[in-house]
Amino acid sequence: MSAKQENEAAIELVGLTKRFGRTTAVDDLSLRVPAGSTFGLLGPNGAGKTTTIKMLMGLLRPTAGRVRVLGAEVLAEPLMVKQRVGYVPESHHLDRWMRVGQVVGFCRALYERWNDQTCRELLELFELDADKQVKHLSKGMLVKLSLLLAVSHEPDLLVLDEPLAGLDPLAREDLLEGVLRTICDRQRTVLLSTHSLDDVQRLADTVGILYGGRLLVHRKIDELLATTKRIRATLTDGRPPDRLPPNTIWQRVQGREWLVTVGDFTPDTLEQIRAQPGVEHVEIIDLGLEGLFKDFIRGRRAAS
Amino acid sequence: MNIDPRSHVPIYLQIADGIREAVAAGIYRPGESLPSLRALALDAQVNPNTVQRAYDELAREGLIYSRRGMGLFVANEGTASARTRARHAVRRAFEQGLRAGAAAGMGTEEMRSLFEATLNDLALAGK
Repeated sequence: MSAKQENEAAIELVGLTKRFGRTTAVDDLSLRVPAGSTFGLLGPNGAGKTTTIKMLMGLLRPTAGRVRVLGAEVLAEPLMVKQRVGYVPESHHLDRWMRVGQVVGFCRALYERWNDQTCRELLELFELDADKQVKHLSKGMLVKLSLLLAVSHEPDLLVLDEPLAGLDPLAREDLLEGVLRTICDRQRTVLLSTHSLDDVQRLADTVGILYGGRLLVHRKIDELLATTKRIRATLTDGRPPDRLPPNTIWQRVQGREWLVTVGDFTPDTLEQIRAQPGVEHVEIIDLGLEGLFKDFIRGRRAAS
Repeated sequence: MNIDPRSHVPIYLQIADGIREAVAAGIYRPGESLPSLRALALDAQVNPNTVQRAYDELAREGLIYSRRGMGLFVANEGTASARTRARHAVRRAFEQGLRAGAAAGMGTEEMRSLFEATLNDLALAGK
């Protein structure tokens, strides 16, 4: 990736906030996604993922803060955003009575940059029947059609909201391939919001964990995996240690077992833990993205 | 190529390992070309940037090299280098096992006989 692309942000959120009555769904969220990267947005239900995406797409007006997409203010230039962003929403609003071919023709007329070849290739890969009515499509086929429509106009940014949830393994595989083809074919930016840690591992280079409308962490996946460690130690008398290590994300004492997950782990962290009285048998456990995600959420829940 | 997204091992390292194993096993031989970024990304179902990182890593090791506009190739000493790497990986795995044994209070002789028994079980002895 060139330095220029690295500096350009495809998505820039500054102090983004959305309140519904007394509930704050998105809370002073700032986020920058560089052009050409694939960003995985993780978070439990109700974390504010879909609300954030809706504001990103200009479908929801923020209570406060700014949304810039591909260098433009979303609220000021809604048409530019529609032309240059592909969006696969959580639920699909396609006319049920239309046939697949009609839906495709309809969308083709709306976009300046529609690519017939991409569209044909995906129709083929997804085995979508142009004569079938939308209301007769299975869930997997609907998502496939939705993805096809989102990428055939050659968007610079692709936004996917839970695209692979509830699909059978084969439909999942086809869709993964469809998403990957778009990532491969041009240096596109992709935002993938999902519960599936596996999909984030496969597709994303950077990950953010959203909880309570705030980002708990935002980092390159490899860096996060390399620097977040869980430590297991035996507590001689079962009493929790006086001091927690720096950057503690989560901890639990159960009998004599002490588990503590720390960020920005260094050999010093280990020495500090070893040096505490009543702590013995200290070992490091490597965490996968799933363990890491859970510890971040559990740690935050325990704190609030 | 099989990728385990649940593993704590970053995916780019899993891919690098997979290519190394394939070279050590003679699936890709010196002078032959390797799959393109796109082909491998679609095959392993991972982001092409991740494949790029794996290839960068292997190029740094000298296992593969790129020819402008022609793609990536296995270096002449690629097979030997991949086998050396594989040896190191096996050594690390042994070390880990031996440390676990020591932590559980096993003696040297006990571990040696366990190693022999395991080798026999796998019917690899003498191969």
